Amino acid sequence: MRTWILLIVFIASFFQSLVLKCIGIVIVPRNMKAVILAAGEGLRCRPLTLTRSKVMLPVANKPILEYVIMALSKNEIKDIILVVGYKKERIMDHFGNGNDFGVKISYIDQDAQLGTAHAIKMAEPLVGEKFMVLNGDNLIDEETISDLLRGESGDISLLSVSRDQITGYGVLLIEKGKVTQIFEKPRDRISHLVNTGIYIFSSSIFNEIEKTPISEIGEYAITDTIQKMIEKGASVTNITTRRTWIDAVHSWDLLKANSVLLGKIEDMKVSGSIEKGAVIIGDVAIGDNSVVRSGSYIVGPVIIGKNCNIGPNTTILPSTALGDNCSISSFTEIENSIIMNDTRIGTGSYVSNSIIGSHNIIGPHFVSEVGKDLNIEMKGILHHADELGSVVGDNNIIGHAVLVRAGNTISTGCRVDSGVKILKSIPRDSIVL
Amino acid sequence: MCGIVGYVGARQATAILIDGLKRLEYRGYDSAGLAMLIDNGISVYKTEGKIASLEAILPDIKSTCGIGHTRWATQGAPTTINAHPHVSGNIAVVHNGIIENYEELYEWLKKEGYEFVSETDTEVLAHLVHKYYKGDLVSAVIEGLKKVKGSYAAAFLCAETNKLVAARKESPLVAGVGNGENFIASDVTALLKNTRNVIYMNDLELVQVTAEGMQFFDFDGKPVEKKIELIEWNIEAAEKSGYPHFMLKEIHEQVTSVHDTLLGRISEISGDVILQDITLTVEDIRKLERIVIIACGTSYNAGLLGKYLFESLTGIHTDVDISSEFRYANPVLSESTLVIAISQSGETADTIAALKEAKTYGCHTLAITNVVGTTLSREVENILYTRAGPEIGVAATKTFTSQLIALYLLSIYFARKRKKMDVDISKRLIISMKLLPGMIQQILNNKEFIKKQAQRFSNARDYFFLGRSLNFPIALEGALKLKEISYIHAEGYAAGELKHGPLALISNETPVVALATRSSTYDKMVNNIKEVKARRAQVIAIAGMDDSEIGKYVDVVIKVPTTDEMLYPVLSSIVVQLLAYYSADALGCPIDKPRNLAKSVTVE
Repeated sequence: MRTWILLIVFIASFFQSLVLKCIGIVIVPRNMKAVILAAGEGLRCRPLTLTRSKVMLPVANKPILEYVIMALSKNEIKDIILVVGYKKERIMDHFGNGNDFGVKISYIDQDAQLGTAHAIKMAEPLVGEKFMVLNGDNLIDEETISDLLRGESGDISLLSVSRDQITGYGVLLIEKGKVTQIFEKPRDRISHLVNTGIYIFSSSIFNEIEKTPISEIGEYAITDTIQKMIEKGASVTNITTRRTWIDAVHSWDLLKANSVLLGKIEDMKVSGSIEKGAVIIGDVAIGDNSVVRSGSYIVGPVIIGKNCNIGPNTTILPSTALGDNCSISSFTEIENSIIMNDTRIGTGSYVSNSIIGSHNIIGPHFVSEVGKDLNIEMKGILHHADELGSVVGDNNIIGHAVLVRAGNTISTGCRVDSGVKILKSIPRDSIVL
Repeated sequence: MCGIVGYVGARQATAILIDGLKRLEYRGYDSAGLAMLIDNGISVYKTEGKIASLEAILPDIKSTCGIGHTRWATQGAPTTINAHPHVSGNIAVVHNGIIENYEELYEWLKKEGYEFVSETDTEVLAHLVHKYYKGDLVSAVIEGLKKVKGSYAAAFLCAETNKLVAARKESPLVAGVGNGENFIASDVTALLKNTRNVIYMNDLELVQVTAEGMQFFDFDGKPVEKKIELIEWNIEAAEKSGYPHFMLKEIHEQVTSVHDTLLGRISEISGDVILQDITLTVEDIRKLERIVIIACGTSYNAGLLGKYLFESLTGIHTDVDISSEFRYANPVLSESTLVIAISQSGETADTIAALKEAKTYGCHTLAITNVVGTTLSREVENILYTRAGPEIGVAATKTFTSQLIALYLLSIYFARKRKKMDVDISKRLIISMKLLPGMIQQILNNKEFIKKQAQRFSNARDYFFLGRSLNFPIALEGALKLKEISYIHAEGYAAGELKHGPLALISNETPVVALATRSSTYDKMVNNIKEVKARRAQVIAIAGMDDSEIGKYVDVVIKVPTTDEMLYPVLSSIVVQLLAYYSADALGCPIDKPRNLAKSVTVE
């Protein structure tokens, strides 16, 4: 009799989950934890990543990693393990124990950069039977995660996106919803499906990781582990999402992400003060203790942090994010740019399609020239940017009337004398006379 | 940050709630209170001051359902009246957050006939829920909170039902699942003694808690499914957020704490310092003939910098005294004297006693403190809060730099009121101060280099710290930090005093930290460095980034970003803190709890 009841309960719960899945309700397995990989630097985002890791680069005034954590939290995944390494203090200072973000965060230190499989293995003592793994440097939203949770089945579930451009990504071959092969950075366009690096694993993965050989570049890659498991007959479910998944490969990709996200923010709020005679059009958020002085003209979407001093007579145009404690002097125009905390820009300057790091002191009449279809050289390799002004790292002191030719970068800790034209990128701690 | 706890079950609630509140102490608070459900209503006990004071007034209450609160005052002074819980008829509430449309709700509720007894924004919550209460607490809370703009984690008790209802928006709130009993709290740390099964609440959700179970709802009153999570972690490790010690975490927090001390107090366009809590009139400030600073330990070192600032910027004669000495030294004071007491905790027994002594002479009084509503703050006319946030490591770090910032602000404020400082100079100083957080981050970015130096010299028996004029207090602070946590014998000296004694102790095994940032005494400092170098000491200089000379005379240069001469002490402080921290770490010392020392010294 007892077995009968158990069986009925079992069948009922089976049907229930089936029904719920069909009508699109997400059930998160009890206590599912998420491991976020946040130990890497993000070399291609230099000079911005010389002083912080890529996951901490701000988009609409929040670090990329915060979007990942919020996406998990909104799906009731609140127990988060951050694998940190490079410049980990910046991450720890921002997120603390997670309390301010409604989640619980544990940190694991990955001192040696030995690849994704190694990072996941380090989380073994902290995760349960099923757990999610994500990259901390891809922008996602709540729905991205819901898609994966809805489609989850088999030994491994893998989230993919469909892309025209597949260069540099892991590409998937699938058959009847199951992944049959993963190609790392293939030359040919074998498929449109790009691996997002977001997975649900069961704890059996750890045994396989131990057997994963080290790759040619000296790292243990989780995709190698998965490939091995596929060969042994494991069921790897592919779920393709159409929701947000933005991979900012280069620093200038942040501008696009910034404008997309600024356009999505619903509750733009003005807490600072706006002097009489300043004009605010569209969605503009202004943080505590910030002052927008008379004659300034701000067209949203624009977000301004706390304790900023804007104007008088400053123009800020769409898709600009200005961090905390910034000061923008009169007759300066800023457009489609990211300016990080503690930066000062002098009078009569023009900043467009540019990213300026934190704690820069920029003199009057600074101009970032904007160019289209630029080829930017980094470490001997040419990278392409559709449209870009300039990228400036942290802690630079820039004199009066400095012009930066389109597509050039000023690294970090530099001093640029007045009247200089920057025609090539400036390495860190330079003095430019 | 306020803290909230709540309990419904079969056990006596008071002990459980008091224990929970104690575990939230780290959030900082200035008053505490409880509301308990009893047979014929709700009884409320609250008081300003410590949880111990609350325990002292608590009778033996028979109750199995209640809510508790520790308050960190934001709107309304830290008084017993303003302490939570707040009551309206049969409703009691505790709240963490800020009601932004308070004024509007206040006016409206007043028109509706409600009387307000406190100055807090929270009281509107009690009246709102009372207004909408028609037998169902859940719907009353929903209706009430729908009117509210702002942030809250709030818990409500109603005299008529044996349950509590809590809701959250932008302030933390978790529920704890027990066996025949249930809990709510601001933070899991308050729950862990009783249960490890918790449910995290989301914004705009509310929960009805009874002894038997919990039901969660959204603001449309629809039930919400929640999952229980098992907490497997160690509380202390969680609070350290990945750092090995609170001290290192707090050293890093200086990027934000310095920012917070300055927040809203400076205007770079007009060069003004705005200190709204200072009640001294322009007339009072102009009549000041003397300032006496009283403090102990690290605060005393901050006070020494204050002397330099007040004398050079405002022209007011300033003395600094150790509190325990001042009291018994027959002080000479008058009505034109301002006594400034500096104490992180606001509970330093010697400083409070010294201040009371000073008050009997009719002087003006001012406190620089980090904790709202302490004994010290009740004794003084003027308060300048450092707003550095709770500090847990015994060795003061972020509260020291915030004290320095507070002293810069106060001295510029006085100098401007006394017309001793041009706008140009104050503007320049204010802009430079705004840039300090970014510079602190720059020092932290290079901490590996400081770590290496600390490790290299960690086996030294003695350490010397030398400085002149405004670097002298930092020499004392550097020595104090090192002594406190690494147990290495260290002394801070005014560099000019070297020849009068300590030079005899210097050998080739003695590391000497020379605070050699740009100042009017820079050349003299270089001479002192040469003196110790001639005795073959190992010299570590702390100097500005723009100084390319100093490297010729010393063994190691630790560079800090170039700033205004007057502001270097803030940056040098970070370096000496890191030096002490990594020395102690290399020696395996218990950094957060050094032997024989306590965080706040509340005995004389």
